[in-house]
Amino acid sequence: MKVSMKWINQYAEIPVSPAEYESRMIMRGTGVEGVEYLGENLENVVVGRVLTCRDHENSDHLHVCTVDVGENEPLQIVCGAPNVKEGILVPVAKVGAKLPGGFQIKKGKLRGVESYGMLCSGPEIGVPVELYPSVGDEGLLIFNEEYALGTDVRTIFGLDDYVVDFEILANRPDCLCCWGVARETAAAMDTELKLPEIKVTDVGGDIADHVKVTVENFDRCPRYAARVIKNVRVAPSPAWIRQILHAAGMRSINNIVDITNLVMLETGHPMHAFDLDKVRGRHIIVRNAKAGETLRTLDGKDHELLPSDLLICDAEGPTGLAGIMGGEESEITEGTREVMFECATFDRAGTRQSTRRMGIRTESSGRFERGVSNQTIMTALERACQLVNELDAGDVVGGHYDYYESLEAHKPIVCSVKRIAARTGVEITAEQMVNALKKLNFTVEFDGGDVLTVTAPDYRQDVELEADICEEVLRMVGYEHIPSTRLRGETTQGGLNPLMQRKKNIRRVMGGLGYDEMMTFSFVSKKSIASLGLPEDDPRMQPLMLRNPLGEDTACMRTTLAPDMLRILSGNYNHGNECAMLYEFGTLFDATRRTEEGLVTESPALSIGAYGKDLDFYAIRGVVEALLKTEGIICKIVPGADCYYHPGRSARLVCGDTVIAQLGQVHPDITAAMDLPEVTLLAEVDMVAMYDCATVMGHVQSISRMQAVSRDIALVMKEEVNLGPVMDTLREAGGALLEDIRLFDVFRGKQLGDGLKSCAFSLIFRSPDQTLTEEHLAPIMKKALKLCKERHDAEIRS
Amino acid sequence: MDIKTQLDVIREELEKELASLTDIRQLEEVRQKVLGKKGTLTALLRSMGSLSPEERPIAGQMINKGREEIGQMIDARMADLKAKEREEKLRKDTIDVTEPRELPRVGVPHPTSLALEEVLSALTGLGFDVVEGPEVELDHYNFELLNLPKDHPARDAQDTFYVDDNIVLRTHTSPVQARTMLSRKPPIRIACPGRVFRADEVDATHSPVFHQIEGLVIDKDVTMGDLKGTLDTLFKKLYGDDIETRFRPSFFPFTEPSAEVDLTCITCRGKGCRMCKGTGWIEVLGCGMVNPKVLEMCGIDSNEYRGFAFGIGLERITMLRYGIKDMRLLYEGDERFLRQFR
Repeated sequence: MKVSMKWINQYAEIPVSPAEYESRMIMRGTGVEGVEYLGENLENVVVGRVLTCRDHENSDHLHVCTVDVGENEPLQIVCGAPNVKEGILVPVAKVGAKLPGGFQIKKGKLRGVESYGMLCSGPEIGVPVELYPSVGDEGLLIFNEEYALGTDVRTIFGLDDYVVDFEILANRPDCLCCWGVARETAAAMDTELKLPEIKVTDVGGDIADHVKVTVENFDRCPRYAARVIKNVRVAPSPAWIRQILHAAGMRSINNIVDITNLVMLETGHPMHAFDLDKVRGRHIIVRNAKAGETLRTLDGKDHELLPSDLLICDAEGPTGLAGIMGGEESEITEGTREVMFECATFDRAGTRQSTRRMGIRTESSGRFERGVSNQTIMTALERACQLVNELDAGDVVGGHYDYYESLEAHKPIVCSVKRIAARTGVEITAEQMVNALKKLNFTVEFDGGDVLTVTAPDYRQDVELEADICEEVLRMVGYEHIPSTRLRGETTQGGLNPLMQRKKNIRRVMGGLGYDEMMTFSFVSKKSIASLGLPEDDPRMQPLMLRNPLGEDTACMRTTLAPDMLRILSGNYNHGNECAMLYEFGTLFDATRRTEEGLVTESPALSIGAYGKDLDFYAIRGVVEALLKTEGIICKIVPGADCYYHPGRSARLVCGDTVIAQLGQVHPDITAAMDLPEVTLLAEVDMVAMYDCATVMGHVQSISRMQAVSRDIALVMKEEVNLGPVMDTLREAGGALLEDIRLFDVFRGKQLGDGLKSCAFSLIFRSPDQTLTEEHLAPIMKKALKLCKERHDAEIRS
Repeated sequence: MDIKTQLDVIREELEKELASLTDIRQLEEVRQKVLGKKGTLTALLRSMGSLSPEERPIAGQMINKGREEIGQMIDARMADLKAKEREEKLRKDTIDVTEPRELPRVGVPHPTSLALEEVLSALTGLGFDVVEGPEVELDHYNFELLNLPKDHPARDAQDTFYVDDNIVLRTHTSPVQARTMLSRKPPIRIACPGRVFRADEVDATHSPVFHQIEGLVIDKDVTMGDLKGTLDTLFKKLYGDDIETRFRPSFFPFTEPSAEVDLTCITCRGKGCRMCKGTGWIEVLGCGMVNPKVLEMCGIDSNEYRGFAFGIGLERITMLRYGIKDMRLLYEGDERFLRQFR
C-alpha cells in the first residue's frame, strides 16, 4: 500500500529521514517494502514565462522564444509546440534537467538556432490530466495559476514528496489506510497523533424523505450506514486530493467519487456513492441473490449468481455485488443531483467466496476480505460528509441510517505482567507495558501488582489473548532487546529418524559409486506414466489427481520415479553430457491404497539412472547389488522386469519373497521415443522392502592363516543357461571350504558347436585350520561336476 | 722400495683410477690390473719369496691387510656404480606425469541435501529429534490446527494445491508439528524437514515444490530469548561465529509474537554485496512463540507450557550459500551443475 509521506506527516509528525523512518517502522512492526521519491525522475524543471516568441527562420513550425526563469538573463529556447505564445507560464526544463523516461536536456542547436532547454508538455514531465486538469493535450502545459518564476515544478504537482510502500500483514487490516499508518507512526516515533476533528453541518431535512434502505442479511452485512447529499455540485477535486490519489496510484474522477476514495484511503472503509435519481424506487435492498439471477458489473461482465452471493438491489433488481463492484446504473456523472453515501461492512468469508468464484478483485473487495471494522463506520461516513462541506460539493441532508443487529465492544483482556515478560525473555516492567500499550491507544488498568487489564481500541480486530498483548508490548519495547539465551529444561534424546539416517547412508554409498543426487518435482502427467506402457489396471496408472494443478504436465502425484529419471537423463544427453550417473529419492503416492485417515499411501523410493561409456546392464546391477550389500542384503537375480525395460536385459532383485528392486536396460522403444542413448540404464529400488530385508551387522569372522588352494574347471553348457544358478550349484557343492568362485572366461566357438558356451571358473578353497590337499578337494570337485551335469546339463570341457 | 711403500703406491694409483673410471666394465679392468693373476698386488705377493724368513710374516700380514682394503675400495665403488646405473635405467623409464587422465568418479549429494544434512546435524546436536510426516495432508493438520480456519485471509499467502475439500498438498511442514504435539507429551524438541508445495509458477526464485525444515520446542519456561539463542547457535554452527541474527516483528497465524529473522549476509559477512542488496543482511526465516490457541487445539495446556517454532526454506539457504541465482537449476538434474558440488 502506497502512502504519501507528506500526508502521513499531517497526522503524525515524522521527525526523521525517509530511510530512518522506514527502518523504525519495520522494527516496530509495520512492514515497508520501499520508499520512493516521487520527483526522482524530474529534476531542474522550473516555472518560466515566455517573454518573446517569433517564428524560426528555417522552419514552418518551430518557434524561437526567450523565457524568464527568474534568473539574471532570459533563456533562448526553440519550441515546436503549437500552443506556445508570449506571456504564458510553462514548465521549463533547463540544461541539465532530467525528465521521466531517462531523458536529459542538453544545450542544442535546432536548424541553426541555439536552444538552452525545453518547454514541456504534461506527459513530458510525467504529469497526467488527473493531477493537473489544465494539462491539455495540444502541446505545452500552461499553468492556470500564478507561480513565482524559477519555482521547482515538483512542488506544484506535489512531487516533492516520498511515497512509502507499506507491506501490511494479514492481521492488521486497520493499517490499510493513512490514519492507520499514522497511528503506528505516532507510536513508533513517539509523536502526537493529530487526526481531524469531525464535524458535519447539515441543512436539515430527513434522509427518510430521500431514500429507503433495507438490510435482509445481517450475517453477511453486519452493519450498513448511509447519508444523503442533495444539490450536488459535481466538479473536479482540488489539487491536494488529486495529489493524494495520484500518490496512492488512483485516478481522480470528480469531487464526489474522489471523496469516497479519499475516505477509503484515510479510514480504510470502502464507500460507495449512489446517484439517487438512478436508484429505482429510491429503495436500496441488501439481500442474497436468488437462484438464476444474473448481473452485469461495471466492467461489463455478466455473472450468474448463487444464493451465497450478496447483492445491492433497488426496487427493481440487483444493481451491484455488495462490497465487490457496483453496477453501471447508479454511477455519479456531471448531471447527478442527489447522492447517497454508503458505508457498510460485508463479511470476510462470504466476500472471499464470491470474488474467488467470479474472479473479480477490487480495492473494495480486497479490504472486506481482509476485514473491515464494524466499529468505525460512522467516523468514515461523517468524514465523507465533512469533506462535502469543505469542498462545497453539495448540501448534507439531516439524519442518517445505521443498521446493525449487534455491535459488541472489545472485551477487556486480563494479563499477567510476569507471564508477558517471561514469554518475551526480555525484562519489561509493568510501567513499560502500560506505556507501550497506551502509545497504541489501548485502554490499560494496572492493579499495582501483576495484573494488567487491557482493552484494544475499536479499530483493532486482531487482539484476543494475552499473547497478542505480549506482541504489542514487545514490538514497542523493541525486538532488538530480545536476548540470546540457551534452552534449559529436561534433555531430549535428539537424532535423525531411521529414514533420514538411511538416506544419508545411501548418499554416502552412491557417492562412492560415482553417482550424483538429483531432485525433481513430485508431479507428473498421466501421459508420462502412460508412456511407460503399463497396463491400465496397474495401480501406477491411477495416480492422485490435483484439483488445481499448474498445468497438465504437473496434474498428478507421481506413482513411479521412472518418467522423471528418463526425462532428466534425456535432458543431459541432449545437452551433450557424455555421461550421466544419477539417483533420486522420491515419495510415491498410491491413491488406490488409503490410510485410516483417508490419505493416500506414501512410500519412499529410490531411482537410479545412467548412460555413458562402459556402462551396461552389469554396471547398474552391480550398483544396486553393492548398495544392498551395505545393508547386508544378498539377493536372487530373477530375469525380467516391467514392460519399459528391455525384456532380455532386465532383472528383479529378490530377497526371500520380497522384490526389492527392478533394473536393467531401458526398452529400445522408449529410448527412441525419449531421445535417449540406446543403452540407457535404470533401476528402481523399493526402500520399504529394502529396509524390511536389511540385516544388522553381527560379529566378524576371524581370518584363516592357512594357504588357499584353487581348482579351475571349464564347463560347457547351452547358451541359454544362466550362470547365476550354476554359481549357486558350485557354491552348494563347495560347502564350507569354498571361499570364493570367480568366472574368469566365457568362450564360444566352432570347436564347441553352435549354441554352446564354455565357462571357466576358478574355485578357491581354504580351511580355517589345515592345509587342504587333493584328498579334501577331489570329492568336492566330483560332486560339483555331478550336480552341474544334473541341473544345468553342463559338462566338463575335454 | 719396501713393501709398505709399494702398497701405498698401488693404493694411490687405485684411488686415482677409481675416481676417474665411469662404468662397471672399467672397474672390472681395474680389479684385474690390481688383483688379477697379473695384477700389481699379486706381483707384490709373489715378490715375497725374495724376503728373509723373518721379514716374510710381517710383509704377508701387511699385504693381506692391503688386499682387504683394496677389495673393499673396489666393492664400494662397484656398489656406487651399480646404484648409478639403476638410477639411470629408472630415469629412462620416465612417464609424463602431467598427461591428462579421467578422474575416478566420486558422486555428490544434491546441494539441497548438503544444506539439509548440515542443518540437521546442527539441530540434532542441540537435542532436536527429526520427525517426518505425509506430504499429502489433511486440511485439518495443515491449516485448521495451525489457527488458519477456512477462508482466513492468511491462507492467501500460501497458494495451496488441493486434492479435494479436505486434502491438500502440505504448504509447510507444520502439520508434522501438529501431529507430534497431539501424539507426544512435552517437553518436545523436534525438527521437521520435508517437501512442501505452493501453487507458484516456476521462475528464478519460485517453485511449486521446495523444502523446508521447521523446528518446534515446547517446554515449561521457553522464552523468545531461547528462540533467538537457538537460532544464533544454529547459524553460527552453519556459517561461522561472526554470523548474527536480527529479529523483526511479523505475523504468522500460528505464532504470537512472531518474527522475521535476518542473518548477517554469509557472502559478504555483513559488509554489503549483491546477494544482500547492499544491506549486509539476508532474510532467512520466520519464527515466533507458538500461539496458545495452537497449543490448546493440539491438546497442550497453554497455561503450563510455552513453545517456539521456526521455519527455514532450504532452497533459500542453499542458493545463498552457493550463490545460485536461478532456482530452476536445482531441479533440472544437469550434470554440469550438480558436479560442481562437493
